[in-house]
Order: sequence, then structure tokens, then C-alpha cells
Amino acid sequence: MAGIRYYDIRHVKGAISHIDIENSRVEAAGTTFLDRAVIRVLGPKGWGILTVDRFERPRGKKFEDLLSKASALASLTGEEVTLADAPSGMIPVPPKKTDPLAIDLEEKGRLLLMIEKAARIPGITSTRAGYTERYEDVLFEDSCGNEYTYSLVRSGYSILAVAGRGGEMQMGYRRRHALQDFPLDNGQKDGETAARRALALLDAKRPRGGTMNVVLDPELAGVFAHEAVGHASEADLVHEGSSVLRGKIGEQIGSGIVTIVDDPTLPEFGFEPVDAEGSRVERTIIVEKGVLTSYLHSRETLPAVGFGHTGNARAMPGEPPQVRMSNTYIAEGDSTTEELIGECREGILLCGSRGGQVDPGRGVFQFNAEYGYLIEHGECRGMVRDVSLSGEILATLHGIELCAKKRKMHAGYCGKGGQTVPVSDGAPHVLVRDAVVGGSGHD
Amino acid sequence: MVRPMFSFGTRWLVAVDTIEKILTAGERQADEVEVYLATGTSVTARLRKREISYALGSEHQALSLRVIRGGRIGVSSTGNPQAWEACLDAALRSAALAAPQEWDGLPGPAENYGDFVNFDENVVPDPDRVREMVRGMEEGACRYPVEIVSGSAEISQYRIVLANSRGLYREDRESLVSMGLETIREQSTGYEYGTSWKMDIDPGSVGEKAAFLAATSHGGKDIPTGTYDVVLSPDAFGQLMAGSFLPALSGRNVHTGRSRLAHLIGQEVCDPALSFIDDPSNTRGIGSCRWDGEGTPTRTLHLVEKGVLRCFAYDLKTAYQYGCMTTGNAVRSGMGGGIAIGFHCMTLDGPRDEILEKDAIFVHDVVGAHTTNPLTGDFSVELANAYLYRGGNPEYPVRKAMLAGNVFEMLGETGGLSGEEKVVGCCVLPSIRLKNQKIIGN
Repeated sequence: MAGIRYYDIRHVKGAISHIDIENSRVEAAGTTFLDRAVIRVLGPKGWGILTVDRFERPRGKKFEDLLSKASALASLTGEEVTLADAPSGMIPVPPKKTDPLAIDLEEKGRLLLMIEKAARIPGITSTRAGYTERYEDVLFEDSCGNEYTYSLVRSGYSILAVAGRGGEMQMGYRRRHALQDFPLDNGQKDGETAARRALALLDAKRPRGGTMNVVLDPELAGVFAHEAVGHASEADLVHEGSSVLRGKIGEQIGSGIVTIVDDPTLPEFGFEPVDAEGSRVERTIIVEKGVLTSYLHSRETLPAVGFGHTGNARAMPGEPPQVRMSNTYIAEGDSTTEELIGECREGILLCGSRGGQVDPGRGVFQFNAEYGYLIEHGECRGMVRDVSLSGEILATLHGIELCAKKRKMHAGYCGKGGQTVPVSDGAPHVLVRDAVVGGSGHD
Repeated sequence: MVRPMFSFGTRWLVAVDTIEKILTAGERQADEVEVYLATGTSVTARLRKREISYALGSEHQALSLRVIRGGRIGVSSTGNPQAWEACLDAALRSAALAAPQEWDGLPGPAENYGDFVNFDENVVPDPDRVREMVRGMEEGACRYPVEIVSGSAEISQYRIVLANSRGLYREDRESLVSMGLETIREQSTGYEYGTSWKMDIDPGSVGEKAAFLAATSHGGKDIPTGTYDVVLSPDAFGQLMAGSFLPALSGRNVHTGRSRLAHLIGQEVCDPALSFIDDPSNTRGIGSCRWDGEGTPTRTLHLVEKGVLRCFAYDLKTAYQYGCMTTGNAVRSGMGGGIAIGFHCMTLDGPRDEILEKDAIFVHDVVGAHTTNPLTGDFSVELANAYLYRGGNPEYPVRKAMLAGNVFEMLGETGGLSGEEKVVGCCVLPSIRLKNQKIIGN
């Protein structure tokens, strides 16, 4: 059609089911059915986009009318958008280990209740467990003739245990998510772990904040890779000028032992068989031995920014694609965790994650650990709580001195621009010199 | 010229017609049935640097069902109201799994409560208007030497029906205008936004404020670690409150052992100068309403009165379960969202003053507020757009620092509220002066 350079349609149907248990009672369960489509039309300059619930793909004149409607919106735009030629093709979806959809709701409720009951040990005053399952049937087509269909299922659970003593409360939290699998049938240990951690935190100290050496466990170091480096490497932010990594390709932005990778082909929680605009997914080395080598891209950002390849456009059902991470990690080093603790000498071992946030333009990040341990004379000592890490991305990358041998991935969800997508991130244990630790303790 | 292209049409009429069918079918299989149907349209313009990169039009539909059978509650929702039978089946299956509880019925029919509270028929999802809003923000930003990073403007209209098998049938309409702009000067960023249900936001002011923040934060200096009086903007304050203090006022968290404020009714929980009031009639609040998400008439709720905790917020489920009365605080999250306890328009009352006259650190924004410990209120956040004030004037911007403390404890000794307020999510909040806060500098 006149004035339309390209179009694509991404239609997602599926369902999200959940079960919530509070203090041994199934308080809520339910299902949300998805049926949303996003239709993008690239006009003479920028995009006109329609999002529609209850989508039925029209044919003939009705389809042309749909494109015209999106095209009319495109006439508002002024940015000259150019799309890169992108390799197409879909990689195989990993086979299901255990299919959550084949297990009935009652059995899921029973298994979740067992996890919750495992957390109800003496001293625990409140528990909450949740199960979420999401399957999506995705249909993609574009004006170049590409068509893809695939189905994915993700499921997971969380368990929160609250310990109370003398009016004081602390919480322990565990979660586990899986792609094409059903982790619920093996989670009782997590219930007990959450409970024991909540109890231990009652006796933990609030550390005094300040600049010190820290060892990050694989979960928190993974959050650092994701929040601090991953977001800043997203080329839409680089293009807009709101990334501290803009203009730094080829520069040594961190210590020589730091390599950071994003890989949507890994069969982890952030897996995609093809990206949200039909591009083939590929592994990207963002930082190699401390040197910034690539940004993460969509078809739109690659011509505008350069350095990398397409394949990182992702979207929630019925939302336009954005440049997003998938499975992001810091590569393994060659030290043992014990060596890291010993080299740290005085500082804090930070463990688990209560989430984080980054201002990529300013190059500043903040995230909170679930708990930690003081490191004194090269050994782990007493437990600490409510401790966070903040800092400047580049200074912190340069401060990474050692990486341990064993890497572990953790699944979760990442928000950006109002959209939440499944991701995983990971790392080995990492030693950081002179990090800024937040804590409200006074001694 | 692009004409408004979205309107409520036949889809809406067809959808409303299904409500009766759902209620009839649901009553055959459950004691009670509730139908929530929302239909909406919106137009968004997204700015990248100084050009609109995309314009987006949305047509939303959402049907949310709740069934109660023998005190067991099941819920389900769908983006395709025509597929209501599968949705009803899923709700019934969910109910079969849920534990039974005390249940004394959904609200019945009641008097009409008058006009829509947060709806302006002049707020029309019109592409030309969002383009004007974006241009207005751009012009406002030109007043300072910054680069525009990105921005967006959106206009939405929603139409909602809540009906149940006890004869309740309510129609509501809502409108929403929102815009925001992000700017940068070298490594100093600034973000400002505005939200309203009517066209009363000045795009130029939003753009100017975003640019002001980036421009004036440039060239910041470090401050030493220490104890300072801190003035939090409505945005910074609202983010910290949302993480722990507001959830602690939910009756559900109180009765399930997840609220630090449980057992403190009648006791002082913050500075005696402060009162927290959920005011569903507040004309600025974007969540203001005459009836809540399950049809209970709303009322002003004095949660904390002059520092003393007076009550908690309830919906029907929690109220029936724990032998309390609903306070009309059932809210629905998103288009097809389920019901949870929430606030319609949380406001803060207290002494209004020139709170920056005395020396303080003014904090416009914080990074990482959502990592606050939701139970204990312990937090440590990175400051953004913070300024050291001396003698009532900004002396210099703070380059980098953390604020660490406890949300409940920080409310114990305050130094007044600003006269100006801002819509921040479900709240309309002033700036607040907090005494003796711990800052980790460099």
C-alpha cells in the first residue's frame, strides 16, 4: 500500500493462571486469558501502531483498512526510522521436561501447600505462597513474508515466610521459575530455607553504610550485570543519549576479568526462539575482558547506533517491541569463592536480591540484598540485613577484582517502559573493591 | 490533519449485552456472580529526542468475573468478552480450589451516586492533541541547555460496567491524560511527568521542569556522610510510602501478620502533626470514585489522625473473613485486574510551611525505592536530582549520595509540608521535611 514501507503483526493468545496461599489457606486462584495483537506499520518516517484485544486477522479490504488505520497514526511521526536487514529464522523451542499444563489445578494447589507448610516452623508467624503459570501461543507475520508460530510455557512459585519476635518482624523469601518445566513438585526445601532465613534475620544486625569491599553472590552479581550493564547496553537508550555507555565501544570500561554476555538462545527463563520483530536470536558479548564490544539491538536501533546485531526486540502481548535483555550473565573466572572472601579481608558478602534500579543516563544503580554476612579478617562472620549496593556503573566495573569459577542463573521478570518480560541473569561470586554499601546501622 | 479515529461503537453494545447472559449462566452454578467489564481506547505519541518515533492507538476490552459458591471465591478474566463461557468455567474451577470463608453477600442495588467523578468528556483520544502535548513539552524544555532523551503523551477514555447477581448495575466512565519527558545534560538526567483526568496539565511546565532538573543537577558536588534534614518531593516521598507504609494500612496485611502497624490502633505511629486520609472525593485524584471495585460506596477514611492510627482499609473478602466492615477500599488493578485492597486517593494533612527556608537536602527523586523492606520499612536509596539548600536557596547539586533509614521511623519527627501538591499514583501528596536523616555521601 502507498506510504507503507513495512508492516508486522504479533498476535499472542494464551492464559495466565495463579494460586495464592496465605497461612495454609488457598485464598485465591484464577485464570486470565490473553488475546492481544500489535500491528505495526512503518510509514514514510516512523511507526503507526495499533494494539487490539480479541484480534481476528482480517483479509482483503478489511486488512487494508487495518493497515490504513495504523498508517494514519504513522503520519504523526517525524523521526526517520530505518530498518536493518536482519537474519530471519526460528530456533527450536526446548522440549518440555514436565508440562505444567498437563497437571490439574488441584494438584498444583496441593504441591504449593506442601511448600507453604514446610515454611511453618516454630517462630514463623505468617506465610504466603504463590504459583504462576503462563503459556503463550505466538503468531508473527510481516510484509517480507516471514511467518512464525510457537508456543512457550513458563511456571514458577514463590514462598514468603515472616518471623516475629517481640514486635519485630523479618522475612525470608525464595522463588523459582522455569521455562518449559514445572518446578513446583520439588520446592519444599525452599519453604524451609525461607523460614530459617527469616528467623536468622531476627538476630542479624543493620550494618553501617559506607565505602567498602564487597563480595556479591551469584544472584546479586547477576542483578548487577542486568541492571547496571545490561540496561545501559540497550541500544534504544544509547540512541536516545541516555546511556553512560554511549560512545564507549572499544574502550576499557571495566577490569580485564569482566566478560558480560546476553544470550536469548540459552534454554533459560529469558529464552526466545525468535525475537518480537521476527529476527533470529543470537548470543551477544557485551563486554569482553573489560572492553565494551556490542550493544543490544532491534532492527531499528542497529542502523542508528551500530555495533552488534539484531535479535533483542522483545514485547509483552499486545505491546510494541523494545530492546530488551534475555539471559544475561557475567562469565566465570578462575578463583574459588573462598579465595574471594579471603582477598576481600574486611567487608560484606551480599546475598540474594530484593530488586534493583538503574539510571543508565547518569550511570548510577542501586539494588538491595536480601541478607549478607560481615567479612572480617578474610572470613565470614555475623549476618546482616537490609543492606544495599549502589554506585556508578563504570567505577564498579573497574572495581571488580576477582570472579569465581561457578556461575549460577536466576529467573525473574524485568520492567522497562511499562512492559514486563521474563529474563534470567547470573554470575559467579564476584569481589568488588571500594563499593558503596547502604545500611542504616550505627555501629 | 488526523481525525480522532477511536470511538466506543458496536463492540461496547455487544459486550454489555453479554452481561445478562453471564449473570444468568453463572447463577445456575454459583451462589453469586459478579461481572466487571471495561472497554477503553487510547492514543499515545512517543518522542525520541526531538521527533515523534511512533504513534500508537489502542482498543482495550477486559471482562473480569468473580463467582462465590459455598463461601469459596473464584476469579477469571479475559481480553475477549465473547469467550465469557470459558472465563466463567475457569472462575468456577478456581472457586472449587479456594478455601471456604465467611461470606455475607455482594453489594445489592443502591441509589445512583451522581455524575462520574474522574471523567471529562473533552478528554478525547485524539492523535492531534497528543502531538500538541508532545510539542508543548519540547518547547518547555528549550528554556534550559539540555538534550531531550525521550518523552510520551497519552490520552485515554474508559467505560466500565460493574454488575452482580444481587441486582447491582453501575456504569462509570473515566478519562486519563498523562505525559512525561526525560532530559539529559552530560551525565545529569531529569524526568518530570503529569497525570490528570482532565486537560489541566500544562505541557510546557512539564517540559521545563524536566529540563530544569537535568540542567541544575549538572556539576554536582559530593557531600560528607552525616545526618541532615531532608525534604522529599512528592515523587520521592510517594515512592517510599508505597513500599511499606501504605501496605501496612491494608487490613489484609494486618490480619495475615504482615503489617508492622497491626495492634497499634489508638497509638501514635507518626509525628502528631500528620494525618493520612484516603479521600475518594478528592477532585485531583485519578483513582477518586463514588463506589469501589466491587460496588461498595466509598467514604473518606481517616487512617491516621494527628499521628494516631485510627483504622485500616478493607474490601469485602477480608472484612467478612475477619469479622470487620468493608471500608469501600476494593480496587482493581489494570483493565482486567482482580480485586485487592488499595487506596483511591491517599492524602497527607499537616502544617503547611516554607519547608526549605532552613538548611536541608532537597531530594526530587530516588532510585531503588521499590527495594524497601515491605515489612520493616528499612530502606536505602540512591538520591537523584538532590540539592543542598542553605538559607532558603539551593547552594549546589549533590552529585551522588544514599539516603538510608526506616520509613516508619522517619515519619516520627517531621518539619512541615509544602503548600503545593502533586498527583503521584493513587496519592495526592505534598513535599515533606524530615528531620535527622542518615545520608551516606562520598
